[in-house]
Amino acid sequence: MSNTTENRDILLEVRNLKKYFKRSDGYLHAVDDVSFTLERGKTLGIVGESGCGKSTTGRAILRLTEPTSGEVLFEGIDVTKLNKEEMRKMRTEMQIIFQDPFASLDPRQTVSQAIEEPLRLNGIIKDKKERFARVMELMETVGLAERLVNTYPHELDGGRRQRIGIARALAMNPKFIICDEPVSALDVSIQAQILNLMKKIQRDMGLTYIFVTHDLSVINHFADEIAVMYLGRMVEKAPTEELFNNPLHPYTKALLSAIPVPSIHRKRERITLQGEVGSPINPKPQCRFAGRCPNATEACFASEPPLVEVSKDHFVACHLCK
Amino acid sequence: MEEKKITSENEEMLNIKNLVVHYETDEALVKAINGIDLVIKHGKAHGLVGETGAGKTTTALSILNLVPDPPGRIVSGEITLDGEKLIAELPLTNEEREKLEAEGKLPPCAPAKTEREFEHIRGDKVAMIFQDPMTALNPVMTVGDQIAESIRLHQGLDRAAAAERAKEMLELVGIPGIRANEYPHQFSGGMKQRVIISMALACNPRLLIADEPTTALDVTIQAQVLDLMRELRDKFDMALLMITHDLGIIAEMCDEVSVMYAGRIVEHGTLEDIFDNTSHPYTQGLFNSIPNIEDRKSDLKPIRGLMPDPANLPAGCAFCPRCDYATERCAVEKPEKIWLSDTHCVECHLYQQGDTAKKL
Ligand SMILES: Nc1ncnc2c1ncn2[C@@H]1O[C@H](COP(=O)(O)OP(=O)(O)OP(=O)(O)O)[C@@H](O)[C@H]1O
Ligand SMILES: Nc1ncnc2c1ncn2[C@@H]1O[C@H](COP(=O)(O)OP(=O)(O)OP(=O)(O)O)[C@@H](O)[C@H]1O
Ligand SMILES: [Mg+2]
Ligand SMILES: [Mg+2]
Repeated sequence: MSNTTENRDILLEVRNLKKYFKRSDGYLHAVDDVSFTLERGKTLGIVGESGCGKSTTGRAILRLTEPTSGEVLFEGIDVTKLNKEEMRKMRTEMQIIFQDPFASLDPRQTVSQAIEEPLRLNGIIKDKKERFARVMELMETVGLAERLVNTYPHELDGGRRQRIGIARALAMNPKFIICDEPVSALDVSIQAQILNLMKKIQRDMGLTYIFVTHDLSVINHFADEIAVMYLGRMVEKAPTEELFNNPLHPYTKALLSAIPVPSIHRKRERITLQGEVGSPINPKPQCRFAGRCPNATEACFASEPPLVEVSKDHFVACHLCK
Repeated sequence: MEEKKITSENEEMLNIKNLVVHYETDEALVKAINGIDLVIKHGKAHGLVGETGAGKTTTALSILNLVPDPPGRIVSGEITLDGEKLIAELPLTNEEREKLEAEGKLPPCAPAKTEREFEHIRGDKVAMIFQDPMTALNPVMTVGDQIAESIRLHQGLDRAAAAERAKEMLELVGIPGIRANEYPHQFSGGMKQRVIISMALACNPRLLIADEPTTALDVTIQAQVLDLMRELRDKFDMALLMITHDLGIIAEMCDEVSVMYAGRIVEHGTLEDIFDNTSHPYTQGLFNSIPNIEDRKSDLKPIRGLMPDPANLPAGCAFCPRCDYATERCAVEKPEKIWLSDTHCVECHLYQQGDTAKKL
C-alpha cells in the first residue's frame, strides 16, 4: 500500500490491526488484519453492518481497547508501543465522539463542568478563570448558547448533548477525532445541524476524522474516502465518489443497492442478499462473505482474499475482482 | 372544507377524525395529538412520518385503544375501522355543543367497544408491530409456541393445528419451520423481527400498523424485511400504516403520506404530491436535511431550532418559530387545512382555499 502514499501528508497509518476477544467457544475476530492510511485533513468513513467491527477498529486505534496485534502510526509514532504516560499525552491529539451523547456524559455535571473536565484533568489550563474563558469559547464554537452553562444533560435535547460531546473532544485541540456514529441517535433535522457543525470545525481547525456509521447517505455526504467492513475484515476502500459509482465488492454493491432513496423517480435494481451476517467466532479461512455472496465460486470457499489495490486508491478484497 | 375529499365509506379501512390525545402528568399537560384526520383505504399503504415526539406512536396506540391511561387520554375525535366505530363522540344536544364551543372545549368521546371487543380486534383485524420489537418476544418461550398461542387466541384453532400454522407462518417469512422449537436468543435481530412480523400476520389482519419496524436493522436486512412486507401486503390485500422517520422507506413502501409535526398532520398527499409537489415548509425542511445520496456535494440545509415542547405549544402555527416563510400571522393564528387538489392538503398560511400546490 505504501507505494502509493508518496507525497501525501499521512497522519495515520494502521498496519495489520487485529483485535480478538477470547470467549468460551473460541476467539471472536472483531477486527481482523485491517490496514489503511489516512491523509491529514481528510475524513475516512468506516461503514458496515452491526457487529462488523467498526467501533472496535476506532477504539483499538485509540487503545481504548488494547489491540491484539498490529501497528498504529500516528505522525510516524507507533502508539501501540507507548507507555501509559506517553499514551496519556498522545490522547490529547486523538479524541473520540460517541453515538450516545447521553450515556457518555456524567448526569451530575453541568454543561460547563463537562466541557471543563478534560482541560482540568489534563492540566492543560491551570488558571480557573482562563479555563472558564476557554469553556465559553468552546461552547460558542459548537453552538451552545451561553445561558446553558449551568444546565444538566437531562435538561437538554439529543442535539445539544452531542454538541457537548463535540466540545469535550475539541477541548484538547486534537488533530484527529474518531466520530463513532455521532448523529445516529438524532432526528434528521438535528442530524443535519450537527453534520454541518462538524464539517465547519474540520475546515476551521484542519482536523482529520474517522467517521464510523452504518448510514451510507450520511457517509456519502461527509467522507473523502470510504472503507467497507464485513465481519472484521476491510473488504473495500475507495474515494467516496469512486465507491458509490463503481463499487466492486459484491457486498458493497448489495449494501449500496439496499439504501432506501427518498425519491420516487429513481427506481434502482435491488440486490437482495439471502441469509444473515455469519459468526465472527473462529471464522474459517475463506471469504467471510462467501456464504451470502450471489457470485461465490469454489475459490471463495478455499481461501481468504487479501485487500489489493485494483486501480488507483481503490482497494478490494474479493477473489472475483481482479 | 372537507367536501372535496369524500371517499365512499366502504373503501375505507381506517378513518380517524379530529383526534385529540393528551398526556396529563403531574408536571405538565402534554398535547401529543392536536386534531388529526387520517384515512387509509383497503389494501393501501399509508406512511406517517415525523420527528421524535411528533405523536406517531400515540396515533397508532389510539387506534388500538392502547394509549396508557393514566396519564394518556383520548380527549376528542372519532376512529372508525372497516365501518365500525372504535372511538365515538358522545351524543350532545345542540345546546351542550354550543356551550362547549363557547368555552373553547372539544366534544368528548369514548370507546365504542368493550375491552373484550378491543382484545378481539387487536391481532384479529388489526395487528401492530411495536416500535421496540425486541421486547415483544417472550425469552422463555419457543418462537413457534409464541406464534401458535396468538393463533389459538384469535382463530380458535386447536393446539396441533395452531402449531402447524405457526410453522407455515415462519416459512412465509423465510425462516425454516424446524426452527420453531428455538428460543428468541438463538435468532439474530433480523430473524427476530421476521418472527414478530409473522406473529402479526398470523391472523390475517386487515390492517397492519408497523411502528418503525426496521429501525433497529441493518440496511441489507431491512431490505429483506421491507420486501417481505410488500409481498405479504400484495398477497393478503392488507392495509398498512407505516410509521417511520425515513422518507426513503416511505418512497419505497407507501401509496400515501401524512407528515406529522407537533401532533398535527401538516401535509398529506400521494407520494407524487409529497415528493414532487412538496408544499409545507416543514416537509421541505425534512427533504433538505437528508443527505442526498445522488448529489454528495449538495449542502445540508437543516431546519433551525427544535420541535416545540408539546406541553408548551406556540399560539399560532407550531412550526412558525423554525419556519423561513413565517409571517406575523403565523405566530398568532393556527392555519386551517387547505386542499390543494383532491389528494393533497396542507396546513400553512402560505396557502388559501382555492390555491393549488406550489413547489417551495
Ligand atoms: N468488549 C467486548 N468483548 C467481547 N466482544 C466484543 C467486545 N466489544 C465488541 N465485541 C464484539 O466484536 C464485534 C465487533 O463489535 P463492534 O462494536 O466493533 O461492531 P460495530 O461494527 O461497531 O457494530 P455496531 O454497528 O452495532 O455499533 C461484535 O461481534 C461484538 O459483539
Ligand atoms: N406515557 C406518556 N406520558 C407522558 N408523555 C408522553 C407519554 N407517551 C408519549 N408522551 C409524549 O407525547 C408526545 C408524542 O409522543 P409519541 O411517542 O407519540 O411520539 P413519536 O412521534 O412516536 O416519537 P418517536 O419518533 O420518538 O417514537 C411526546 O412529546 C412524548 O414525550
Ligand atoms: Mg459500533
Ligand atoms: Mg414512536
